[in-house]
Amino acid sequence: MMMFLVLKERLKSFYGKYATLANGLVKFLYSFAALWMMNDSIGFMTALQNPFLMLLLALICGFLPYGAIACLLALVMLVHIYTVSLEITLITAVFLMLVALLYYGFQPGDSYWLVLVPMAFFLKIPFAVPLVAGLSAGLVSVIPVSCGVVIYYILLYVKQNAGVLTNDAAVDITQKFLQIIQALLANRTMVVMIGVCAAGILVVYLIRTLSVDYAWVIAIVMGTVAQLAVAFAGDFVLDVSMPVVQLLAGAFISILIAGVYHFFVFAVDYTRTEYTQFEDDDYVYYVKAVPKVSVSKPDVRVQRINNPVRGQQSRRR
Amino acid sequence: MLNEDKIKLMTSIAMFEKREGKAIAPAGRYFRSDYVSGRMLRSFFFYTFSYLLCVFVTVLYKLDELLSATDFTPVIQLARGSGFLYIAGLVFYLAVTFFVYSRRYEYAGRGMKVYVAKLRRLEKRYEFQSRTRELTKEGSRYDDVSRA
Repeated sequence: MMMFLVLKERLKSFYGKYATLANGLVKFLYSFAALWMMNDSIGFMTALQNPFLMLLLALICGFLPYGAIACLLALVMLVHIYTVSLEITLITAVFLMLVALLYYGFQPGDSYWLVLVPMAFFLKIPFAVPLVAGLSAGLVSVIPVSCGVVIYYILLYVKQNAGVLTNDAAVDITQKFLQIIQALLANRTMVVMIGVCAAGILVVYLIRTLSVDYAWVIAIVMGTVAQLAVAFAGDFVLDVSMPVVQLLAGAFISILIAGVYHFFVFAVDYTRTEYTQFEDDDYVYYVKAVPKVSVSKPDVRVQRINNPVRGQQSRRR
Repeated sequence: MLNEDKIKLMTSIAMFEKREGKAIAPAGRYFRSDYVSGRMLRSFFFYTFSYLLCVFVTVLYKLDELLSATDFTPVIQLARGSGFLYIAGLVFYLAVTFFVYSRRYEYAGRGMKVYVAKLRRLEKRYEFQSRTRELTKEGSRYDDVSRA
């Protein structure tokens, strides 16, 4: 535990010194991972699969704000999809514009959820994002996370039906629209996963804001249980086949990720909780103070008593 | 000479500006009614444009059905349904906009009070400093007089 606390202090100190560089590096890695996964799943445009181009795009993203990165990634996604089918590109573009206009008009600044959710789904850890969103953001994050789920299922649809969508030149354009929209709207797994994410965020947020000891730990565990419960309920009610072992493994890894986030953001020592009570003219205050866990960074200084090089020089003289 | 209290105060003001600058800006620039109505107008255009996009996709989705119809009844039904949905959705969206931006303005107002209080404290610091300087100058004036 002490080792991790020291590591945390070192990271904080490093971030304090090189914040601009660290932010740029995080954005670069985030964009590169997103581009890599996109190429891996729907990399239909061969020109965009060039690793140097990916590196260049990620490097540009390192200097951009998260909103602009999301726009750039959306553009790359649309170019990939356009190679397969114009119709689904149009539907995806309309969906993205609706999200941008109706949601990001209100709440700009959390577009990273739109990117992180499909990434987590591709990594088979879909429960991780709702847990972290519940811990870090408010209930409003249900909207971008749900939109991220829709984007993932659009990408999955393109990936699974790329052959049909590309070779269906004989089919009328309106028929194609009909097929695509019906397939997307009838996707029960997508509905279940939206429910899973919404339940996860709701439960985690409501529990972590309670004034009880170990609220964040309880929130992570209960959030995971709620997500699994909704997933299995969806399995029974909507007759959706869920890979149980994969879900459980994903849930376990998601708990670990949420635990790491908890450690770095909200490490408090409940054993040293203090209570105090006082009053002023209008109110009586019941205060619960929980100290944060922190250690001072070890400052190792090597004091060299004899300098061998200097000694040799003086002997030569 | 450096004044530690003043530096602390100025740093805290700068940090407050950096963190809350965007959130408290509306309270300094607009009246509440101007701010909220401006945002509602923007929401109206956003919603209308989004709705037109949805209508475009719906028309493409139902194009076969509409083209194969012998009379205008399905078109009229679609138009009526769309009109109702547009108005209901618009009212809901504008209500949400009103609620959200009214609360944001209230938050901005509270933040602005804190900001102004911090600035007043800084101003008092400056006044105190300048008064001290004047008093010191007065002392030096007497010295000048005595020299004259």
